[in-house]
Amino acid sequence: MNETNLIRPIPFEDHFGLSKEDLQRALATALASGGDFAEIYLEYRAYNFVMMEDDIIKETAESISLGMGIRVISGEKTGFGYTNDLSPDKVRRAALAAAAIAQSAKTVPAIDLRSQTLDHDYYPVGEPCHRLPLEPKIALVKEAYLACQAFDPAVTKVRAGIQDSIQFVTIANSDGLLASDSRPMVKLTCTAIAEKGALREHGYSGGGGRVGLEYFRSALGPEEIGREAAREAVGLLEAREAPAGEMPVVLSPGHAGVLIHEAVGHLLEADFNRKKTSIFWDKFGKKIGTPLITIYDDPTIPAFRGSYNIDDEGTPPRKTLLIEKGVIRGLLQDRLSAGLMKMPLTGHGRRQDYSDIPIPRMANTYIAPGESAPEDIFKSVKKGFYADRFQGGQVEDSGKFTFSVSSGFLIENGRLTAPVKQATLIGSNIDILNKIEMVGSDLMFGLQTGTCSKEGQDVPVMDGCPTMKISKMTVGGRS
Amino acid sequence: MSALGPKSDLLTLAERLVAAGKACGADEIEVAVGDSEEFSVDVRMGDIESLVEAGSRSMGFRIIKDGKTASASSSDLTEETLARLFRNAVQRAELSNRDPFSGLPKLSPLRVDPESLDLYDPEVQTLDAIIKIDLALETERTALADKRITNSFGASFGTHEIRSVLASSNGFSGEFRKTYCSLSLGLQAGETNDMVEDFWFSSETHFRDLETPEQVARKAVERTVRQLHPRKIKTQKVPVIFEPLMTSSLLGFLFGCAAGTSIYQKASFLADKLGRTIGNERLTVVDDGLLPGRLGTSPFDAEGVPTQRTVVVDKGVLKSYLCNTYAARKLGLKTTGNSDGGGVSPNNFYMEPGPKTPEEIVRSCAKGLLLIRTLGHGLNPVTGDISRGAFGLWIEAGEIAYPVSEITISGNLGEMLKNVEMVGNDLEFRGSICGPTVKVAEMTVAGE
Repeated sequence: MNETNLIRPIPFEDHFGLSKEDLQRALATALASGGDFAEIYLEYRAYNFVMMEDDIIKETAESISLGMGIRVISGEKTGFGYTNDLSPDKVRRAALAAAAIAQSAKTVPAIDLRSQTLDHDYYPVGEPCHRLPLEPKIALVKEAYLACQAFDPAVTKVRAGIQDSIQFVTIANSDGLLASDSRPMVKLTCTAIAEKGALREHGYSGGGGRVGLEYFRSALGPEEIGREAAREAVGLLEAREAPAGEMPVVLSPGHAGVLIHEAVGHLLEADFNRKKTSIFWDKFGKKIGTPLITIYDDPTIPAFRGSYNIDDEGTPPRKTLLIEKGVIRGLLQDRLSAGLMKMPLTGHGRRQDYSDIPIPRMANTYIAPGESAPEDIFKSVKKGFYADRFQGGQVEDSGKFTFSVSSGFLIENGRLTAPVKQATLIGSNIDILNKIEMVGSDLMFGLQTGTCSKEGQDVPVMDGCPTMKISKMTVGGRS
Repeated sequence: MSALGPKSDLLTLAERLVAAGKACGADEIEVAVGDSEEFSVDVRMGDIESLVEAGSRSMGFRIIKDGKTASASSSDLTEETLARLFRNAVQRAELSNRDPFSGLPKLSPLRVDPESLDLYDPEVQTLDAIIKIDLALETERTALADKRITNSFGASFGTHEIRSVLASSNGFSGEFRKTYCSLSLGLQAGETNDMVEDFWFSSETHFRDLETPEQVARKAVERTVRQLHPRKIKTQKVPVIFEPLMTSSLLGFLFGCAAGTSIYQKASFLADKLGRTIGNERLTVVDDGLLPGRLGTSPFDAEGVPTQRTVVVDKGVLKSYLCNTYAARKLGLKTTGNSDGGGVSPNNFYMEPGPKTPEEIVRSCAKGLLLIRTLGHGLNPVTGDISRGAFGLWIEAGEIAYPVSEITISGNLGEMLKNVEMVGNDLEFRGSICGPTVKVAEMTVAGE
């Protein structure tokens, strides 16, 4: 029973109670004061949540989000209105709010919306979560919870939860595009508190993606998620303070993808380059790092959190080469920036929900595998820091970035020795990209639970990388 | 509620939904409905970048049946959808376990008339769009006139008007209106390969209290250019002075650690510390939902519990956790009126100011770091450990010597609270969490 969008267009009228003619009329209203482009974004999202703590299923929740955003682009300017009441007068009011950006009344040529069909589907869903009753989801939560609790007597508190959603979007624009996507998402997470004497530590794990519930039986079991959270918490009880100062750093495969997300991905989002605030704006086609690194953002990887059949502007996405052997080759584009910069669309225009204006965003960002064997990378370090698990990071446009390590190890004479606690690492991106000395052959991806924030908008993302060595980076520990 | 005049349509709707939920079989039910009007304009390099105007309405509810809880929310307020959500919730509650700590709070009277809290400025709604756009344009123009500024992230002016209503089966029925406006600006200085950035903002309930474009621009420029041409420093342990925004960020972390919901989960280093000394005598922290006209003020919380003034830390002693009804029952305490619907949120959570001027605090430092910005999220509430990327001004012999960057600061909140050496007199209410300048005796600053 494979639910797909293949060939069969999705009847958006059923979700929103608006006809093609209604959309055409709203687009015409939006362009009545002028403007180059108008677009409607309709969204319906149904979300379910189950949470277990203190050994009981404590709460369940359901949430419905329904609304419409409408924008008008006039040169570099955007007018935007939104409403969660889709009655004709409210839709018209939102269209007029968006129209206010343009000042030159003109006759709008008739807009003829043509439904777009897709020949791809990146959501390999067997059992769609949103159609299932709660019982099998509760069963998964309990399995994760109990496995976490049973892992070690030091585990004193556990919290496990499952969240699933279906997001149905329809995009219609004044170029005649009419496209829809039905995006599933599920996430099973577990947190553990472990205690030893006065010491208390925290561990986290999770998984999911744009998959069905069968994922937790075939790809990543709930017990594995529960045990992994417990393992991190219990392991940290034995950890010592992280070192402070500059030293060689080895990054774990998969989880350390957050470094690439922060150090490179954000500053290759087109808006920052169009506005010349990104340190990369004048370096297109130039070498900014070691030839060992090649970086892609690929929204078309099946099942991944960051993937989508069309972006939030209706553009089918493509795997985008960002850095090729250290040279900047691409930017992540949305419609506004691509138009102004006269560059091709890449399908990276995303928004948190209908009340937000789309902006260029990452999807699934990763460093392509290199040639070094991971064990050779460790062997090359006499004394250094191994960054294992991560809490996220941040970057500013100058290229200064941080990422926070939740647990790691010391490296001594080529071997992992003492486990160490949380530390933030800081660097300047171009400097660090030139200090990547070795790139492993073992490309992996991090947990399928990541979210990226930009300008107040959160979207699901993934990132990945092989084992890598940075010759020198500032580690912000305490000892 | 009398000051608001006749009951609004929104409150009537909420009360009707409470009755509908009871009719579906809920033992207890609480319904919140919110209505908001938003206007915002972003300008950049002298021109409008985006203009947003919109209104929206949403609702959320929680039901309890046989001691089992289920909740739901929706921005689709059609009868059909709401009826389905109620039916689903009552059925879904069966799948939860009975929880003796669940349930709505007992009804208690509000401490004040909502109108007396001064949360609504009619001027916000009547401001002409042209005036709002001009405020943003003038702010950016003033800053760009300074030749040291090389690029702009843009200026924004925004207003929000929110109406919140809540009705419960325990007999609570209340509503209030709130306005919010803000003016902000982000800037860059320096050449492409040596850029620094910063921002400034003003946000207030009342339009008349907002800083002028001139004030916002001047502050944003000064904060940006003072970081030009930073140096790196060696790893060392020194006193760290937190500017007010940095103290606020630290207090945000403290709030999370003092939240009753973290305490019963043992997800905080403050678990089991109630009544104990967690800081030195210079540290007093308060949560107050009743300060007139402040951004974190409201007459009641998301459960209809009257807000109050709660002393969280009194001269270093942990006096109270901040609780919703559930966390309070779990901990055998009283709710403090901090429910936000799902967990707990601050009302006005602030640190009491001290006697020193910020200049005196800088002068007290033979060598140290004035912390002006952080980057990243390295905060661990379970241990209190902090490790963040940092930007600052290096202090030598009581004077600002030069800017520093690409460093990290690390420490432990528990230890830092005990090492508060000086507290500034410069507390300003710029958000719902705020603090003055604070000097911490020693932290690890990692650099080269």
